[in-house]
Amino acid sequence: MSGNDINRRNFLKVMGWGGAGVALSGCDMPTTVTLEEGKETVVSYIMPEEYVIPGQGVYFASTCQQCSAGCGVHGRVREGRVLKLEGNTESPINTGKLCQMGQSGVQAHYNPDRIQKPMLRKGGALVEVTWEEAAAALADKTGKDSSLNGGRAAWLTGTVSGHQSVLLQAHLEALGSSRHYTHEVINNAVATQVNQDMFGEVQPTYHVTKAKVVLSFGADLVGTSMSPVHFSREHTKFRSAPRGVLIQVEPKMTLTGGNADLWIAAKPGSEGVLAMGIANELLAKHGLSGDALPGGLRDSIASYNTDKVVEITGVAKTKIVEVAKVLAERSPSLVLTGASTEAHEHGYQSVAAAMMLNVILGNIGKTITSSGEFPFPQLTAKRGDMKGLLAFAEHADKGEIDVAFFYGVNPVYTAPKFLNLEQKLDKIPFKVVLTQFYDETANRADLVLPLASALEDWGTHVPGYLPEDKIISMQQPLMEKLYKETHGLGDVLLSLLKMRKPEEYEGFADYYAFLREAFAAIPSDHKGGVGDEKFWMQALQFGVIPVNVAERSIKPTPIEADLPALKEDISYPFYLVPSAHLGLWDGRHANLPWLQEAPDQISKVVWGSWVEMHPKTAARLGVENGEFVRVESMQGSIEAPLYTHRGIHPNAVAVPLGQGHEEYGRYAKGRGVNPLKILNPVTDEKTGEPALYGTRVQVAKAPFDEKQKMVRFGGSETQVGRKLVASITADVFNRTEGA
Amino acid sequence: MKRYSNRLYEGLKRISLGSAALLVVFAAVPGTGWAEVPNAVAPKGAHAGDDVPQPIEFPHDVHAKINQINCMYCHTYARRSKVAGIPPTSKCMGCHTIIATDKERIKKLTEYWESNQSPPWKKVHDVPDYVHFTHEKHLDRFLFSNEGMDVERVSEVCAFCHGEVKEMTVAKKVKSLNMGFCRRCHEANDGPSDCWKCHK
Amino acid sequence: MSLQNILTNWSQYRKGHEQGGFHDYEHMWGMAVDLNKCIGCNACSVACYAENNLGIVGKDRFEKGQGMHWMRIERYWDEPNLAPGVSEEFPSRGASFLPMMCQQCNAATCEPVCPVAATYHTPDGLNAQVYNRCIGSRYCSNNCPYRLRYFNFYSYYDWSWPEPLNMQLNPDLSVRDKGVMEKCTFCVQRIRVAKDTARREDRKVADGDVYPACVQTCPTDALVFGDMLDPESSVTKLWKAHQVELGKTKQHKDNEELRGYRIFEGLNTDPCVMYLERVREVEV
Repeated sequence: MSGNDINRRNFLKVMGWGGAGVALSGCDMPTTVTLEEGKETVVSYIMPEEYVIPGQGVYFASTCQQCSAGCGVHGRVREGRVLKLEGNTESPINTGKLCQMGQSGVQAHYNPDRIQKPMLRKGGALVEVTWEEAAAALADKTGKDSSLNGGRAAWLTGTVSGHQSVLLQAHLEALGSSRHYTHEVINNAVATQVNQDMFGEVQPTYHVTKAKVVLSFGADLVGTSMSPVHFSREHTKFRSAPRGVLIQVEPKMTLTGGNADLWIAAKPGSEGVLAMGIANELLAKHGLSGDALPGGLRDSIASYNTDKVVEITGVAKTKIVEVAKVLAERSPSLVLTGASTEAHEHGYQSVAAAMMLNVILGNIGKTITSSGEFPFPQLTAKRGDMKGLLAFAEHADKGEIDVAFFYGVNPVYTAPKFLNLEQKLDKIPFKVVLTQFYDETANRADLVLPLASALEDWGTHVPGYLPEDKIISMQQPLMEKLYKETHGLGDVLLSLLKMRKPEEYEGFADYYAFLREAFAAIPSDHKGGVGDEKFWMQALQFGVIPVNVAERSIKPTPIEADLPALKEDISYPFYLVPSAHLGLWDGRHANLPWLQEAPDQISKVVWGSWVEMHPKTAARLGVENGEFVRVESMQGSIEAPLYTHRGIHPNAVAVPLGQGHEEYGRYAKGRGVNPLKILNPVTDEKTGEPALYGTRVQVAKAPFDEKQKMVRFGGSETQVGRKLVASITADVFNRTEGA
Repeated sequence: MKRYSNRLYEGLKRISLGSAALLVVFAAVPGTGWAEVPNAVAPKGAHAGDDVPQPIEFPHDVHAKINQINCMYCHTYARRSKVAGIPPTSKCMGCHTIIATDKERIKKLTEYWESNQSPPWKKVHDVPDYVHFTHEKHLDRFLFSNEGMDVERVSEVCAFCHGEVKEMTVAKKVKSLNMGFCRRCHEANDGPSDCWKCHK
Repeated sequence: MSLQNILTNWSQYRKGHEQGGFHDYEHMWGMAVDLNKCIGCNACSVACYAENNLGIVGKDRFEKGQGMHWMRIERYWDEPNLAPGVSEEFPSRGASFLPMMCQQCNAATCEPVCPVAATYHTPDGLNAQVYNRCIGSRYCSNNCPYRLRYFNFYSYYDWSWPEPLNMQLNPDLSVRDKGVMEKCTFCVQRIRVAKDTARREDRKVADGDVYPACVQTCPTDALVFGDMLDPESSVTKLWKAHQVELGKTKQHKDNEELRGYRIFEGLNTDPCVMYLERVREVEV
């Protein structure tokens, strides 16, 4: 079904990059429709390419931009329109598959709330201006003849990689600034720091398929943790006979938890202690060797006897014993961590304790290997985190920033209330927001530059998590721009660079020209023996560029985990779990109606927020499913309807990320609540990363609000005795399907 | 009214109106002399379509009748796709950069070409949104896989549904193209009768 | 469609099942859903929205059960045959996810009740819905034991596809309007393309030529689709391996431990979708 044999050069021509006078005029937009003769206009092609046949779809490869996993996509293009996205079979990240967020990429592209023209603040209000006027304002504030002290200019971006990242760094260099802040709510900042300290690299390769047991401390592998589609593919192989065992420890059931063989709700924040307890069982009862561990750590482990661990974690003794037993008996295994373990005050220590299990279990070199030396470090992903936003806010507050550029972030929405970001932003005299949508941050900008959609833009991307096969993924326009006055990130960066260093960048007509030159400059040993032209065509045709990586091996240095005792807080008895789910993500997809109407996988709620709570807790508080509760931290409160189910620790209440937008278009605005707003200012002590899961709250009944009521996908919570989902044991499965 | 999805509803209305018109017109305009396409029963029935003013009064008669240009030379997608397609401007200009460049219509065409614009042609023949019709299969059945037919005679097959276009300047709808019209032809020619073959 | 045709089709439906033959069918499209692989992520459902022009109904109408998810994921918290009657503090074996799409029953209960023959069985073994024929009596949906038919209570286009969202609409199938019943078609528009392509190349439709949108996107390969009349297709092999056969109300298996089953088989609907049992390790 793919358009692999298509001459790509022609496509470029059609897209308007191949020379003058060759343009594709799309078919008539489906607006007025009638069967009467002579009413509807049919727009013929002016000069079609050989492969364009009206009524038939053609597939072009590109890269999904809905999250930073970097899945390859094939866009089905017909009569000049993108109709659907499919996974690119050539990409080792997703091998032909796509998640629901990827599928919704077309809705981000055709979204009715896209910004179509630049907006400049004049007399207090943002007004639409021409691109020329916007460029003049930019040159005036940031050009080489401006009064800007370049070192006081900053970029706040989400995760960026590839040549966009290269240009962005070049812009900072041209300004003479080192202020690149990266910000993502859903991140692995703590785990990557532990990885760096323990294994010497931020992101080793995890071989889920080679493990017989995966013990996950909150890693939402098939959901929001690293690369959803990739790990879903791995999960399938992991589950075929002989079937691997998945054990999930977390305060609130994630999608991965919903698929676990054993789901354990440990007391929020006690995951590290549980890991120490398991280590103790392994060393004391199963005779595993702790020789690789420093003596202090061995002593520390010995102090976590099982009874003590039961008391701290609230996990039944039998479960701890069983988990240790299955880990000892079935080797190799793989221990991973996720947000619910990482994002606490002692998150670093908890992760270190969990990763230390991999050393005891001998998993290093088997299920955890080095990802090697990526040959183009300047292209790799600059990962965002929360502390990037904190640093930005602090520097803005001190008046160190005169001009700020925002891309791929919506900090006014994602910043907790304690950060007081709006006030700090006001101290930045000129704020430039590059965005597709009018979001909360655009609302406070001085200049809004409308971006082309991901399906209209050029780019290269290095996926956030790279599996064994390393690649650079290509992004190319799948259709002509919907709105003339939108531009791609690369093109905006080039114009900014031309304002600072015209002599160096005037030569590039546009970002496409820059990319072509960048591709010509790739060392020939990475081109597989083909010429520049063919290499470029292949990159576009397949959508991925395989990269040779120098091998490395890992020699782990275990870290002594120093786990503090959990603090009790009588006035705020519950831990707030700001849970992420595959769908609205961190809120960036709240404007996509398909994802609003797609039920949350666990609670099955649509179009709004909810508070998840254990039925026992709800009964104690005297609240029922569907009633409203107020979740209050020291920083403020939010009110949302209650969903009770057993997949959550009684000491935790979960509020999903994603809703509570004050701007962001018709589908998102005024819907639900944003749990990020009420976070307490607690950080992981070691890394300084805000502890998203460390906020304590109290919960009380609140008045019913018809507008924000909970609507769930219908159907029963149980099978009422019917044979709908029948289950068998892995033992039987391995017996019948193992051969 | 800009309501895309209203297509179904509009279509339904249209179908019933179309059938009513057919009954009246059928009696008034008896079938004219049909070309004898072998192994085929030509569909009967006529329809009094409106005159459709086009941006350029394209003379089908000059092209198809006087100059004997094969329909599929311009409507090149008909044999490969669902839709026959309006020829791309580049195809027109293939001849008209040299031929008849002094004519008003060609000057207008050249203007469109030079300004990189497509002439805003008006649609004459259409079927409702819920109908899947493919030119490719019909041409295959009546022309390419039809023993005794010659590609030169394609216009006789086109005429089944489009009438004698080569006698017209701009095309005009002269067949009702409603379900009854389709069904009678399918029955006479042993075409498929499964609903989902044609409805989508 | 002539009256005679309707009657022929109906009698085919009436006889086909008991006489044990689908031999005059061109294809028999079928599916297998492996619940050991399905993670309940919802990708299939959204892919279906994208492919099949499914309308967004909004919060209030969704609450009334008017959501148009032709492909939906049910989620249950109990596991009757692993831990019958046990009510633990936590769902320690996770959730039970169940993708539900039209089961394309060979003895479909929706078909005989349609007063206008808008739903019928195709020679491809599909349970078809002809939208322009449908008058919206909703008898079919009331008669469907799987609740897999969705009725357009309103015209959803203003809310679902404000410009330019309408540019995403798939021209290969219609946008349904108010008063019309709709349902999963196994992406018949894709099947049509595959058949046309095969015909053009003078060959039969091969296994893997066509996938419905849900199967194509499924990140876990939980869904397998193909022609059950093709002995070499992966879906045929899977049904065979799990000893599930069409045309039966109760399966007789040599090995009772094989995982295949069909939902509500006892109702004699003869569905074309086989499910494979969910698996859990109970030794931990």
